[in-house]
Amino acid sequence: MTKVKLEEGDIDVDLEESEINWIKETLCRDPSITEIGMFDVMHSEHCSYKSSRPKLKLFEDAEKNYDYVLAGPGEDAGVIDIGDGYCLAFRIESHNHPSAIEPYHGAATGIGGIIRDVLCMGVRPIALLDPLRFGRLKGNPHSQWLFKYVVKGIADYGNCTGISTIGGEVEFDDSFESNCLVNVACIGLGTIEDFEHAPSKAYNPGDFVILMGGSTGRDGIHGVTFASRTLTEMSEADRPAVQIGDPFTKKMIIEATLEAVKTGHVRGLKDLGGGGLSCALSELTGDGGTGGDIDFSKIFTREPGMNSFEVMLSESQERMAFIVRPKGLEEVLEVFRKFEVPHAVIGRTDDSQVLKVRNGENLVVNLPAIALSDAPTVARPEKRPDYLDDLLAQKTPKPSLSLEEITYKLIASENICSKEWIYRQYDHEVGVRSVVKCGEGDSGVLRIIGTNKFIAASVGVNSKHCFLDPYEGAKGGLVEVCGNVIANGAKPLAMVNCCNFGNPEVPESFWYFSKAVEGMNDFCRSLKLPIVGGNVSFYNEDEVNKTAIKATPMIMIVGIIEGEKNIITLPFKDMGNDIFLIGETKAELGGSEYHSVIHNIEGGVPPTVDEEKIKAIWVFLFELYNRNLVKANHDVNKGGVIITIAEMCFKNKLGANLDFTNCYDKKLRDDEFLFSETVGRFVIETSPKDRNLILDLAIQFKIDLKKIGMLISRSEITISGIKSKQFKLDLLKMKRLYDSTIPNLMEI
Amino acid sequence: MNIKIAVIQFPAANCDLDAIHVLNNVINVQADLVWHNHFKESNYDAVVLPGGFSFGDYLRAGIIAAHSPAIDEAKIMLKDGRPVIGICNGFQILTEAQFLPGALLRNESLKFSCKWVNLKVENNKTACTNKMNVGDVLAFPIAHGEGRYYTDNLKELEDNNQIVFRYSTENGQLTQESNPNGSLDNIAGICNSEFVNCIGLMPHPERASEAILSPKGTDHGKLFFESIVEFIKRRVS
Repeated sequence: MTKVKLEEGDIDVDLEESEINWIKETLCRDPSITEIGMFDVMHSEHCSYKSSRPKLKLFEDAEKNYDYVLAGPGEDAGVIDIGDGYCLAFRIESHNHPSAIEPYHGAATGIGGIIRDVLCMGVRPIALLDPLRFGRLKGNPHSQWLFKYVVKGIADYGNCTGISTIGGEVEFDDSFESNCLVNVACIGLGTIEDFEHAPSKAYNPGDFVILMGGSTGRDGIHGVTFASRTLTEMSEADRPAVQIGDPFTKKMIIEATLEAVKTGHVRGLKDLGGGGLSCALSELTGDGGTGGDIDFSKIFTREPGMNSFEVMLSESQERMAFIVRPKGLEEVLEVFRKFEVPHAVIGRTDDSQVLKVRNGENLVVNLPAIALSDAPTVARPEKRPDYLDDLLAQKTPKPSLSLEEITYKLIASENICSKEWIYRQYDHEVGVRSVVKCGEGDSGVLRIIGTNKFIAASVGVNSKHCFLDPYEGAKGGLVEVCGNVIANGAKPLAMVNCCNFGNPEVPESFWYFSKAVEGMNDFCRSLKLPIVGGNVSFYNEDEVNKTAIKATPMIMIVGIIEGEKNIITLPFKDMGNDIFLIGETKAELGGSEYHSVIHNIEGGVPPTVDEEKIKAIWVFLFELYNRNLVKANHDVNKGGVIITIAEMCFKNKLGANLDFTNCYDKKLRDDEFLFSETVGRFVIETSPKDRNLILDLAIQFKIDLKKIGMLISRSEITISGIKSKQFKLDLLKMKRLYDSTIPNLMEI
Repeated sequence: MNIKIAVIQFPAANCDLDAIHVLNNVINVQADLVWHNHFKESNYDAVVLPGGFSFGDYLRAGIIAAHSPAIDEAKIMLKDGRPVIGICNGFQILTEAQFLPGALLRNESLKFSCKWVNLKVENNKTACTNKMNVGDVLAFPIAHGEGRYYTDNLKELEDNNQIVFRYSTENGQLTQESNPNGSLDNIAGICNSEFVNCIGLMPHPERASEAILSPKGTDHGKLFFESIVEFIKRRVS
């Protein structure tokens, strides 16, 4: 906190001395209290990306280099052209800090915010995905409380707005105990014309500025500066900085906005999120090269007596700013009247390139729009943490349990077990689009009504892997999440990310961020995957214990499947079919569930990524798909290959005879092979009549592919061809363990 | 004949477009999305109150919508025997408006629940079951937090043959496990006694009308909507 002395009085801000001087120099005068408040918000880490921007410049220009990318980073959401006149808008962001303090409203307003980001691209939000992180549940009432109410917050808000929650991902780990992560992603679908009707800048002087939606209240003032600090014991006192969501109003705003956009009279559209009116108005006019003249008295407030500082900084939810051309004003207002959404014309754009807010005769804000939206960057030092060498050198201890006992323990572990308890609470059917539903595939698959196209979307990353090696961990996350949509038959088209890290002012924390960005950048350039948006959440660090969360560069991938017959699902289909393992297995147990659940260690060698091999596997899989050879597919993930196969057996109550003779490097121990989390592998089901063809193709495509077994009707998995003697797993018992872990912890 | 069905858009209805899609594109009948304040019964042969969270479920699920002018219009249709159908939130509205007896309480689990269930057809004489057989088992999904049907007058419902659907196993057995929300006597949907033209049910037929959406590849929801069309045709002829 820095104290600034101004004519109107003193004020505490989060800006540094140098930043305050920059503001004074830029303005050639002292700012007003409202103005300094606006700078405080707009130059906060959350709004300005002042620490992260220099690093994010590494990413290639998606809009320039990929012709199907219509909007890239810097917009409220990434937008891609998917053909047939349709486009998809999507984005992921964090709502970590509010959720750690008030899980229900924190998560709910996170959903509210991400919906607005997609809505302001002019398209209908159709799907939500929510990757989450909490402390371990077992014996931890605080984590259970956060988990329960975050899920309820997402469910109540998402369900009411009629946007189906089609996927998510969750990990439980001690490092998230006081800093849970609530990342929220939204996908919107519309025509390219809809998108073109909703630019996010006010480029035309003389247009009307309309504020629509919820009233401006005192809630959420300084939410972004709160999110740009670490949480302390005092943070409980920050609860007023958490906004309250209203999904009913949001639903009305969605319908009113879409109908208003359809009129063709909207020439600029922006949601009010972090930074409230300050952010929306300065970005609209700053990016559009215009200015604005706003009448403070027209802004409808929730309570009387709010001053301009409070109004400009309020982060009250459910508000949108419209720029409307004069001749369409009445038509747009008529739409708002029909839906009975509060609205007011609060001013007009002009060509002054200055944002002015008048309160009667007084000019309370008079700022060059560009000064607010163009915060200077800060160079942060980075340093690899000293503790990593010891962690990476950790060896896998010899297990004292049998392989059978280990597998049962793994399937019941919090990070592997069924997440049905969560997704049952989400309406994942509304919209009549969900074709592959929660729990039935690695990704959520939605149809696009009126076409034969399908959207596949998935989110995730492995925080434990990233903790040991953020560069390889970020790449591994991309391999896994791309693998999820590929397993369902989709070609990955674009990526957005949400970077969750500790305090960027701590060199070790910034190193994690820096390496993760490099990993994402290298992988995406190599695999020709455009990065169309991102969000950075720093300060996920517990100031009392001085511990940061495990680095979590959350990744979201959206892909397209052309044609219903090309959708592949996870469950095994028919007895007698072959089971193949694609991809080489290495002794990569660092950060694995096996290490954490069985040995209670976090270290070891985490998985690494060879882009060329990954690329070859993906090309090979699509060759198999084109020849209709794959009956089921699932990527190998937490817990390793047996867990993967068990998950594929569950739905149709099949079993598997597995024989790993000649299937892996004999230098590996049994536990190293069976529980390895080497990324990029897939387990597929195929027909025996195609066996030779598939083996030939693997040779031709230079793919490591091994037949590891066949499907049987008994509900068991038998495992032979390993160094230990063969063993058998009871799938009914595995399913019971898989299903009961979370209910047993949460339903008391 | 040129059949026209209205789907009422209450503020924060959210299955309105889904119902429109199925009626227009799957059943191939003309259905209009009508804003609740604009609805005029004289233009329509049937009305559907779709699922969602009308008025945010504030106060109590369905109660504010039950006071919408659209309900006064629907009452005219109720009285003259035209189909009045409430799905999910629409069912809640119909009980709040006292078109149908009983109430929908908080699920026994106290949680929202979205899953596919099996429904046993108990009455095939109604406006939306006349193309089904008694004892048929249908696969429909549910998605609600307040769907536990309750009435003080179960006997009257049974005596008047007002129970239309019950939650059951795949084989039509009425077990406790197959009851997803704790509804009294596994009741999933009921009708009025006079013209059997008013039906309310918690599960979503519009989400079960196309095989691609069903985990079992079924399209039982089509029978529901085709029955409505059939009922209108019989009524007119």
